[in-house]
Amino acid sequence: MSSLSYREKFLYASLAIELAVYLPYFFLHGHNSVSKVAGMIAGIILLQIIAQGTIAALTRNRITDERDRLIELHGYRIGYFTFASLMAFGLAMLWFHAEAGHLNMQNHTMGLHFLNVFFGMLVIADITRTVAQLIAYRRAL
Amino acid sequence: MPAIRNQVRELRAARNMTQQELADQVGVTRQTVIAIEQDKYSPSLETAFKVALALGVSLDKCFQYDPRGKR
Repeated sequence: MSSLSYREKFLYASLAIELAVYLPYFFLHGHNSVSKVAGMIAGIILLQIIAQGTIAALTRNRITDERDRLIELHGYRIGYFTFASLMAFGLAMLWFHAEAGHLNMQNHTMGLHFLNVFFGMLVIADITRTVAQLIAYRRAL
Repeated sequence: MPAIRNQVRELRAARNMTQQELADQVGVTRQTVIAIEQDKYSPSLETAFKVALALGVSLDKCFQYDPRGKR
């Protein structure tokens, strides 16, 4: 870990937390609820604060420089592109299923289903952003 | 070959300076110095001047531009 910068350590920790929290949520999709989504968001925030505090305490050199900022922008660009692409795909699928009459808007679970899909897009975009940043640290930029 | 090449590693080694010492003088992380030395990152003009100043050489002794190199 000594060859990793402060930002890299934090990104690896973020990725581990995101995967540890989001994967069980999406694999246990049948038992989800709005309160579970809220709990998960609170859990992510709490774990990120703990991880950031621990890494900051264990890292002597905590400076971030121009390369860190450039990599951060690069990651956000890829994350945004992923999110926009998923949104376009999701809207196309929504239109397709609405046209085919597959959607029952009277169903009370439909709102939760849309929330999960939207939240899933955000999660995929966020994980993509983190992975893109980690790759950029290892490759030429 | 990259468009911007540098002699940072050679100049630093000639001065018995560690990557961390150079990084501290320039105000960047050690990982950024490593990336510059490996031609994986072309620093901003300001950072390039700071590196040259820390190594006690002019900018063109430290960084060279090759118009035929890939960006």
